[in-house]
Amino acid sequence: MKKAVLNFIGLFFCLSLLGQAKKPTLMVVPSNEWCTQNGYMMEFDNQGTTELLPDFKLALQTNFDLNKVITKIGGLMAEKGFPLVDLSASISNLERSNAMNRAVQSKNSGALIVETPLDMLKRQAKSDIILEINWKLISNGPKKTIDYYIRGIDAYTNKQIADGGGAEKPSFAAEVSVLLEEAVLSNMDNFAAKLQTHFDDLFANGREVTVGIQVFENAKNIDLETEFDGMELSEIINDWMAQNTVKHRFNKSNASAYFIRFEQVRIPLYREDEMPMDTEDFVRNLMRFLRAAPYNLTSKIEQRGLGECILIIGNK
Amino acid sequence: MKVKLIVLAFFCLLSFVTAEAKKPENLKYDIECVGNGAQSTYLVKVWVYGKASQITSDVLKKYAVHGVIFKGYSGRNGCTSQKPMAQSPVLEQERADFFDAFFNNDRSYAKYTTEVDGTTERVKVGKEYKIAAVISVSKELLRQDLEKAGIIRGLSSGF
Repeated sequence: MKKAVLNFIGLFFCLSLLGQAKKPTLMVVPSNEWCTQNGYMMEFDNQGTTELLPDFKLALQTNFDLNKVITKIGGLMAEKGFPLVDLSASISNLERSNAMNRAVQSKNSGALIVETPLDMLKRQAKSDIILEINWKLISNGPKKTIDYYIRGIDAYTNKQIADGGGAEKPSFAAEVSVLLEEAVLSNMDNFAAKLQTHFDDLFANGREVTVGIQVFENAKNIDLETEFDGMELSEIINDWMAQNTVKHRFNKSNASAYFIRFEQVRIPLYREDEMPMDTEDFVRNLMRFLRAAPYNLTSKIEQRGLGECILIIGNK
Repeated sequence: MKVKLIVLAFFCLLSFVTAEAKKPENLKYDIECVGNGAQSTYLVKVWVYGKASQITSDVLKKYAVHGVIFKGYSGRNGCTSQKPMAQSPVLEQERADFFDAFFNNDRSYAKYTTEVDGTTERVKVGKEYKIAAVISVSKELLRQDLEKAGIIRGLSSGF
């Protein structure tokens, strides 16, 4: 009897753990504007075009105030049960695996995949939400004011989901780092309240992502107008999306015989096995559906950042 | 028999009046920010309106906590506006049992507050007074306790 009760308690505990949602991960990064103003930019060769991009590594190695703000935000978020993904550790990991990743991508796709360092960082750190910070010291005679802003960006959609900040109380004597600490402290609660609204939306309506459907140039007699049992392939995919999105929510933003673009696709937070679902998992389910009879279609998945996946039909 | 009934009715009435008198009166109050407190605290000034004898230090602390939970405050003196902790405007009515004990019977609010010495102000307004003090409210501790009691939802609730 005692054994049966213990088994029941154990089973209940395991089920309750399985039912828990994966906590979104958060990472703090300085904004592009802050990096530009403080000289932390680097040149990036984007297929022959030189672009300026933020140099997070240099900023972290040399800027005391940035480190202090990140540490402070990290402490406050940990108090609320959300430890942050460490930016500097993520950069180190990124550097280690970068060369290997590029080689793997080229081999699979036969073409170069272009990703900015921030995209690579998002993919590597798998951070769901980026907390972008920016501040400026304004001096008015002997008085100093910090104008501080923080905004939360959903890494899946690049949409702003929370914001906070503003000009703080002027001070004659306080150090910049002290003013910054005050600014972080006084703006965190309102920011957290807005994050809470976003999380409520995630629970109610699922995660928002973008899904693309394309057809390989060398696909044999297949395009999105090909018919199966009197239904065009685009209709079949559309029905699958309706059946597999949360509350049937998705938006077909553009389509032709060779491509479809679905935006604002609300995918469930979990797979059937209760593990967290990402965009690739969702599109992989569609790939399996199309691989089965009567369609028997071969296709390939290309991931573009955390929140976008493309399914290319007709080849591997 | 008649006399007995009159005496019984008198005691019933008396007990009713006494119970009503014991029920704490809700006073009018205003809450404002006076600066950024130390980490995990709000530094607020609370003004309570009523008879001078009613407004003790304890009452000021009670309304400081009440304000942080249900009112929030607007930004001034270089402060940032703070929203109330309560996510619903009718939370106090919905969880009346909890808040009645919290503010009246158990006086649990007291452990989250510290009055700043020498900050009491007293102004006569007509027949009554408005009395203020600066109170430091341990908002993080308060929030955590309200989350544990299931009164408000935390950022990590549901995960």
